Amino acid sequence: MIRDLLRPGILLRLVVFAALVAFLAAPDRFAGLLAPLTSNGAPSIYTQSSLIDLTLAHLFTVALSTFAAAVLAVGLAIFVTRPAGVEFLALSRAIVNIGQTFPPVAVLALSVPAMGFGEAPTRMALFLYGLLPIFENTLVGLSTLPPAVVETASAMGMTGRQRLLKVELPLAMPLIIEGIRLSAVIGLATATIGSTVAAKGLGEVIVAGLLSNNLAFIVQGGVITGILAVLISDIFTAVARRATKRRGAPSAAARTEPDGRQTSGA
Amino acid sequence: MIELSHLTKVYGDVAVVHDVNMHVEAGTITVIVGTSGSGKSTLLRMVNRLVEPTKGRVLVEGRDVLKMPAHELRRSIGYAIQSHGLFPHWTVARNIATVPMLLGWDRKKVAARVEELMELFQLDHVQFADRYPHELSGGQQQRVGVARAMAAKPTLLLMDEPFGALDPIIRGKAQADLKAIQRRTGTTILLVTHDMDEAIHLGDRIAVMNGGDLKQYAPAADILARPADAFVDDLIGPADRPFHYLTLGTVRTAVEPGEADGAPLAADTSLYEGLGALLWSGRRTAPVVDASGAALGRVSLGGIADKAARPR
Repeated sequence: MIRDLLRPGILLRLVVFAALVAFLAAPDRFAGLLAPLTSNGAPSIYTQSSLIDLTLAHLFTVALSTFAAAVLAVGLAIFVTRPAGVEFLALSRAIVNIGQTFPPVAVLALSVPAMGFGEAPTRMALFLYGLLPIFENTLVGLSTLPPAVVETASAMGMTGRQRLLKVELPLAMPLIIEGIRLSAVIGLATATIGSTVAAKGLGEVIVAGLLSNNLAFIVQGGVITGILAVLISDIFTAVARRATKRRGAPSAAARTEPDGRQTSGA
Repeated sequence: MIELSHLTKVYGDVAVVHDVNMHVEAGTITVIVGTSGSGKSTLLRMVNRLVEPTKGRVLVEGRDVLKMPAHELRRSIGYAIQSHGLFPHWTVARNIATVPMLLGWDRKKVAARVEELMELFQLDHVQFADRYPHELSGGQQQRVGVARAMAAKPTLLLMDEPFGALDPIIRGKAQADLKAIQRRTGTTILLVTHDMDEAIHLGDRIAVMNGGDLKQYAPAADILARPADAFVDDLIGPADRPFHYLTLGTVRTAVEPGEADGAPLAADTSLYEGLGALLWSGRRTAPVVDASGAALGRVSLGGIADKAARPR
């Protein structure tokens, strides 16, 4: 464990994380560092709201919408890979594709009249935007399992539900996690635009910087968001790698057919 | 044990399996042999309903399989395939425990059974129980696959080209091991292969499939002696036929009184191996001894040759 922590990559991330925490805990101490980016004696640290509150609100919004997107997208992907749901594959694809194609800014603009200002339109936009990567990844994960493994699960007497929970989902898990990672990272960046409709988040700092022509605000909002995105991405990658490692090469079972004969042949 | 009557599977307009009637005796190994596309795998899969029959009936131990819930039926029948289909995210022990766990055996009983099977299949428990399938060799994976199929002590075991992915040396050993284990446990085995050698080596009875039809269903010796048609004849390979025939008998059956020089042959050696030993050592006769080493007589090239002739 100690040795793991000392690996250069991990060490670097720990240092970056510590710096981020230090900055959020007492931003004033870093005022001097950002001062060269301001002019005319403008403040170099955003103080309208506490940075730590904005960061937590930002993370909460992303977590909530990514979680909701994951639940729906994974559920939908499971449904369309069951015999009963195959017919809905094209339809589901179309729906999540629209979610991804429709720009989040447009979603914000359209949902404000219905939902009012605040977090709700942002969460809606992120939720729609996050569906596609999770759906497509889960779909690939569930539909490219080694046929011999899936068939044996049935042949051993697993019910459809047991097969899904004990075999298919665990084997598709690395890809599902990868999809959630993509959605979370995209969401983290996209959430900044929520501030244009008064959602609490790090976008507020960036927008304030843009409005008052304060580069220091833009940099601190942007860098905090960026660091969060990188760290969260790394955590997901590490979790996915753990899930992959345990079962060895992705489709070792499928590859041990030297003569290429499909086991499903007559 | 298994009773197939008028069993038919149609995909589109094609009858992949056509009106097959077959009776499989309990405690025997029956091998279904045929070329690819002959319908042999489909026939096998209709027994545990991985393929639903279009027409006809399958009785296993007197029960109509179509009248049982598919998952319950499958838990009572062992199943092993060529690419073993081990669950890559489970350890060897967990893989073997699959069916007992599904049946809700208690933990202790499962652990004991896993250990017993690993010993039976010569997999060191300490060394392998906690390994993942990708850490094993092909031969080990195959053994785990068969061990898993036998875990809940099924009386019937279905095997679809179980040795197809193994190299020839390991395959020979795996076949011999399977036969020995089958003799010990008395499990009924229905095995599919495209390899006539394997069929003759393993099968108490052989079913030859071609184009969805069951061409011939008989003991190995009968198939060799009286192939039902040109296809069966082809599958055996006319040139190999007498040699196949010799693999079925032991030297004991060709013992004649008398003495001979050189290294003795064990009485349980197959006639085929006996012939090879004589040819290679340049002898015309060799002494035969029983398991305890007592002399039984001798075996001669001529005596073996007589056994290879087409029976009348």
